[in-house]
Amino acid sequence: MNHSSSQEALSVNTPTYDDGSTWFSRLREATAFWMFLILLGLVVLFSLISPNHAFLSVNNFFTIALNASQLVLLAVGMTFLLGAREFDLSVGANVVLSSILAARTITSLAGTPDEVAMGNYPHLGPAITAGVLVAIISGTLFGLINGLLVTKLRLSSFLVTLATTAIGLGTALVMTHGANVPDIPRVLQTEFATYRVFDMIPLPVLLSLVLVLLLWFTLAQTRFGVHTLAMGSSPDASRRAGINNARHLLKLFGLMGFLCGIAALLDISRFATTNIGGHQTDNLQAVAAAVIGGTSLFGGIASVPGTLVGTLIPVVLGTGLVIMGLDSFYQLILVGLIVIAAVYIDQRNRQLSI
Amino acid sequence: MHTPQQDSSAPLSKQSMGAAAVEAGRREPALEAINIVKNFGSLQVLRDVSMTLYRGDITAVVGDNGAGKSTFMKVLSGEHIPDGGQLCVNNREVQLRSTQDAQSYGIETVYQDLALAPDLSVAENVFLGREIKAPGWRGQIGMLDRQLMLEESTRILTELGAKLKSYRATTQSLSGGQRQGVAIARAIKWAQHAILMDEPTAALGTRQRDMVYAAIRAAAGRNLAVLLISHDLPQVLELADRIIVMRQGTAVANLNPAEVTVRDVVDVMLGAKGA
Ligand SMILES: Nc1ncnc2c1ncn2[C@@H]1O[C@H](COP(=O)(O)OP(=O)(O)OP(=O)(O)O)[C@@H](O)[C@H]1O
Ligand SMILES: [Mg+2]
Repeated sequence: MNHSSSQEALSVNTPTYDDGSTWFSRLREATAFWMFLILLGLVVLFSLISPNHAFLSVNNFFTIALNASQLVLLAVGMTFLLGAREFDLSVGANVVLSSILAARTITSLAGTPDEVAMGNYPHLGPAITAGVLVAIISGTLFGLINGLLVTKLRLSSFLVTLATTAIGLGTALVMTHGANVPDIPRVLQTEFATYRVFDMIPLPVLLSLVLVLLLWFTLAQTRFGVHTLAMGSSPDASRRAGINNARHLLKLFGLMGFLCGIAALLDISRFATTNIGGHQTDNLQAVAAAVIGGTSLFGGIASVPGTLVGTLIPVVLGTGLVIMGLDSFYQLILVGLIVIAAVYIDQRNRQLSI
Repeated sequence: MHTPQQDSSAPLSKQSMGAAAVEAGRREPALEAINIVKNFGSLQVLRDVSMTLYRGDITAVVGDNGAGKSTFMKVLSGEHIPDGGQLCVNNREVQLRSTQDAQSYGIETVYQDLALAPDLSVAENVFLGREIKAPGWRGQIGMLDRQLMLEESTRILTELGAKLKSYRATTQSLSGGQRQGVAIARAIKWAQHAILMDEPTAALGTRQRDMVYAAIRAAAGRNLAVLLISHDLPQVLELADRIIVMRQGTAVANLNPAEVTVRDVVDVMLGAKGA
C-alpha cells in the first residue's frame, strides 16, 4: 500500500496502486485528461492561426477566464446534480431573477430615484451589502424550492425545473416589464468585476476559482461527495446504507441555487445592468460543460476538474472563432454538436459496462 | 426414515421454538420475531410468523416462490414495518422503523440485489454511510481517510477469501461472486448481532457459490446469527443448523437438517400430506 502525504490534493498522484496500475495509466482513463489535451490543442491551434498570434497572450487568457467565470459555477453545480442523477434546467431563470432582485435592492437602497438616475449613490456600502445578500438568498431559495418540489412531491427534476424556469422568468418579466434594471453603480465594475489582482487576474476569476477548488475537494474527498455519487449510482444502495436521499438532494439543489446567486452577482457587476435575455442557454451550456468533462448523465460519475475543462473548451472555441473573424454564434452550434457526441460516448460506455 | 417435525395447518408456536433451543442448550438468541403480521393492502403476506435467530447459528428459511421469505426478512431489516407482532434484539423489544434502525441494533442485510453502488469503489461501498474521517485537521475539514478504508476493506475481503485485483475498482467491474463477496464483507464488517441474506448465491456459478458459503460460515463463526434464504436445498441441508419452512405466509416447520432429506423438505414446502 502506498502512503502519500499529498494524497489529499489528487487521487491520482501515488506512483502505483494495488492493481499494479501507475498514475499515468489511471490518468489515461479519465475523460478530463483527454479533454484537457483537446483544450491545449485548441489553444495551440488558435494561437498559430490567429493574426500576430494574438490568441496567445496573458491578457486574452484572462479574458477567456473572465468569460467563463460565471458559467463554470453553474456547470460545477450541475456536476453535483448530474452526479446524483438529477438535473436543473432552471439555472438561467434563477440567475436572471436573482440578478434583478439584487439590482433592484441596490438601486433602491443606494439613494433616492433621482440621485440614482444621476449616478449619485449616497448609501452605496449598505446598498451593495444588501444586494449581495439578496442575490445569494434568492438564488439559494430558488434552488431549495426546486429541491422541495422534487423531494416532497416526488416529481422528476426535469419537469420541476422546466416549470420553475417559466415561473422564475415570468416573475422577472412581471417585475421589470422586460426592461433591464439600469443605473447599477459602476464601482461594482471598477472595484470588483474588472479589478485585476496583481494587475493580472480578474477578481471574479479568482472568486470562481476558489469556489471551484472548494467544490472539487468536496466532491472528491468528503462524505458529502461520496454520498452524492452513491445516490446517483444507485438510490436504493444509498438509502439502504442509511443515507437520507431526500435531504441530500435538497442540499444539492440548494448548492446549485447558491451558485446561481453568485453567478447573478458576477453578471450585474460585470455589465452594470441585468441581462434578462442573456441566459436562455445557461442550462444547456452548464450541462454541456459537465458532460464534456466526463460527468455522466446517468449519475454516479462526476468530475469537477473535468467540468472546468469542459467549460473552457466552448469558451476558447468561441473566442477563437471571433479572432478568426467568424460569427461567435457558431459557438452555440458547436456546443450542441459536442454535447451530442459526449452524450453518445457516455451512453456507449454505460452499455459496455453492463 | 425420519419424520420431520411438522404441522401443516397451524403456524409454528413460540413454545416449540423455545423447546428446540432448550434441546440444544446454551444457545443465545440474538434476534427474535414473535407473531409477525404484514399486509400489503388487503393481501396478508405474513401471518403470525415467529422465529428465533441464535448466535453462531445459520438459520435457513426455505419456501416456494411467494411464500413470504423476502417480506419476512425485510421486516427484520427495518425495510418493512410490520402490522403486528414483536421484535426483540438480545431479549429486548425493539421497533425497527428503517434500515438505519436495524443497523443501529447491529443487524445487517445482504439484499437479493446486493444494494451496491456500481460506480463506487469496493472500499467506498464497504464503508458507504459509515465513512471514516481522516485524523486531525484534515478530518475537521471533512476529509475522508481513504487509505484506512482501503486497507480495512482489503483485510476483510482477504479474510473472506475473495481475491480482488483492485480494491479501488468500481463494483460494476467485478464478477457476480466478487460483488457478492463485497456485500457480505460489508455486512460482516458492521453486523454486531445478526446478518440477513436473501438468496446470496442465486446468480452464481459453483466455484463462486462455494466462496459465498465459506463467507456465510465465517459470519456464523464470528458468533453472529445468520439468516439465510435459499432455494438451494442440498446446500441448505449441508450448511444450516436449522431449517424453517415457510408456506403461504406462515412458518410451518422447524427442521433439523441432520434428520431430514431434500425430499422431506420439499414435501413440507409444498404441503404434501404424510411425508
Ligand atoms: N411491496 C409489495 N407489495 C405488494 N405485494 C407484495 C410486495 N412484496 C411482496 N408482495 C407479495 O407478497 C408475497 C410474498 O412475497 P415475497 O417476496 O416475500 O416471497 P418470497 O418467499 O421471497 O418469494 P421468492 O422465493 O420468489 O423470492 C407475494 O405474493 C408477493 O407478490
Ligand atoms: Mg424473495
